[in-house]
Amino acid sequence: MNYSFDWSVIWEYRELITRGFINTVLLSLLGLIFAALLGILMGTLASVSSRRLRWIATIYVETARNIPLLIHMYFWYIALAYLRLPAFACAVLGLSIYSGAYVTEVVRSGIAAVPRGQYAAALATGLPPFAAMRHVVYPQALKIVTPSLAGLASQLIKDSSLASVIAVAELTYEAGAIEGLTFRTFEAYIFVSLLYLALVTIVSQVLMLLTRSRKSETISVSEG
Amino acid sequence: MDVILPNLGFLLSGLATTAVLALISIVAGTVLGIVLGTLRYTSVPVLGQAAAIYIEFTRGIPLLVFLFLFYFALPALGGYKVSAYVAAAQGFSFFIGAYLAEDFRSGLRSVRPQLKQAARASGLTETQVFRHIVLPIALRRIIPTLFNQYVRLFKFTSVASVIGVSELTGRAMLVNAREFAPIAIIVTLALTYLVCCLALSSIGRALSHRFTVRT
Amino acid sequence: MSDRPMIEIESVSKWYESFRVLSDCTTAVGRGEVVVVCGPSGSGKSTLIKCVNGLEPYQEGRILVEGVEVGAKGTNLPELRAGIGMVFQHFELYPHLSVLENITLAQRQVLKRSKAEADERGRALLARVGLAEKERQMPADLSGGQQQRVAIARALALDPKAMLFDEPTSALDPEMIHEVLAVMSELAAEGMTMMVVTHEMGFARRVANRVVFMDEGRIVEDVETEAFFTAPESERGRDFLSKILNH
Repeated sequence: MNYSFDWSVIWEYRELITRGFINTVLLSLLGLIFAALLGILMGTLASVSSRRLRWIATIYVETARNIPLLIHMYFWYIALAYLRLPAFACAVLGLSIYSGAYVTEVVRSGIAAVPRGQYAAALATGLPPFAAMRHVVYPQALKIVTPSLAGLASQLIKDSSLASVIAVAELTYEAGAIEGLTFRTFEAYIFVSLLYLALVTIVSQVLMLLTRSRKSETISVSEG
Repeated sequence: MDVILPNLGFLLSGLATTAVLALISIVAGTVLGIVLGTLRYTSVPVLGQAAAIYIEFTRGIPLLVFLFLFYFALPALGGYKVSAYVAAAQGFSFFIGAYLAEDFRSGLRSVRPQLKQAARASGLTETQVFRHIVLPIALRRIIPTLFNQYVRLFKFTSVASVIGVSELTGRAMLVNAREFAPIAIIVTLALTYLVCCLALSSIGRALSHRFTVRT
Repeated sequence: MSDRPMIEIESVSKWYESFRVLSDCTTAVGRGEVVVVCGPSGSGKSTLIKCVNGLEPYQEGRILVEGVEVGAKGTNLPELRAGIGMVFQHFELYPHLSVLENITLAQRQVLKRSKAEADERGRALLARVGLAEKERQMPADLSGGQQQRVAIARALALDPKAMLFDEPTSALDPEMIHEVLAVMSELAAEGMTMMVVTHEMGFARRVANRVVFMDEGRIVEDVETEAFFTAPESERGRDFLSKILNH
């Protein structure tokens, strides 16, 4: 190996890296919020008794998750270029719609895991359907699916790196920029790898911690 | 359609490249996944820990960055040259291998210790117990997960276009640059991936139905 | 080695961490003898029987099978185990293999029999346990009693010199217990050396030559069957018998 390391470039271009990191966090955060909203909406549709509404959810899930994320982003950025959406917005749209399909599946399975009697009991106490879902079903479902949601969140953070392909100046994009400016290929990519690793680890650990601290609220129900 | 048909041959050969790239990576990644998953399962000293570190690292970083490591960073470090296609195949295989390793490990762990004990009681050696009992049961149980990962990998291959591999997405973008019909081209591209992924999933469902282990 | 017992257990003790599960156990099973091991749950009887073919290690004492020490360093355990059949409480049939494949796997892998040879032996044994027509089925398609009979056939396929039974009927519905005990009684009548952990006292009384009664990791009684049932020596033995017989 004749490669001589020069890690000083990382410090030299710290502003680029910081900007990229902030954009990655913003992108992921917005993507997460919209994916969660979409997933809750579609996951609820997937759980209702109306077959037609369930179809809407099924078609959404199967279409969105079987098309590569890159193509999702190209769709908004290139196919619908005449809308002149900023690249960042295209990335958020692509990420949310793609990841929303996975959230939908998780939400659906969470709702399915809450005993049907819970919803019926809530209706019986006079709660309207929406309130019954909001106060009785969702909180219990959320608790069940938090580990899966933590996994989806870390996946989404990693997926956000594809936004660099449509020129969103996030972390991966800045790594490329530093590489182009300095030719310190190895340092640039290894450093951002470690940044992603740290971000993903911290986010998933925090989310898992949140579940654990709320475990005490769970009532254990003996079956049969 | 009038932009797709004249370029159909060009796009189809891109699809062929995508399929071959996916197939190579699926095979190599599965072999790597079995090896790494087994090392983790048997907790072989040193090698087991090395596998754990590799798996954790790989699962913590984005695919695109991982591809850049194989296309730019490692060749720079080692002073060698690699074609985009080879780098993509390496990157995908090593990437998916890390995910499959965890799936294999949980599959291997799902086999009850009492069943292994029964196999030992009939005189099978540890290697035979693993080869004839634990591994086949684990493999059958994880077929659904396995095919989820294969579908993921198939979608991943579109990212190879970013480092210049002339697969389906790369060729579609070339056609778009020439014809400028982005909606038609990208929708066709999306539908092609959709059909391929759905086909792959249904193969997975058929196989898992065929090989279910009922207890 | 003609007069020597098939299985000799000499002052065996075993610990899980600091918890002593077997204390100074000594007994033996002669050629062609049927020994029933009984006792309350947690008395160590399953652990003791699993020490015989080395599935569980022990820390003190010796266990000899045809003069070969199970716990010795150089002992070829797979070879030793191939000579002793074992039947488990929860059957432990291989769920991914058909009934016949369950019976042929070890024949082919351990005894290196040809497929034709192993199949033939497997079919003969299935016919013997009354399940000839089930060879292509998967274990999950059989009832518990049928699965246990397949498990017995699987053990017999290796032509064992002795058979170990670890609570073979405890997981079965009452109406299926009989079919398994019938196969076991037949085996005993043919002169098979057997060590059986069971709560089936009717079977013990009819079939066993000796009863070993265990409590808290110790062998409390080791006597002729009739002696155990008519006049147990120990307080605990009497207590156990009265509980289980009045059940």
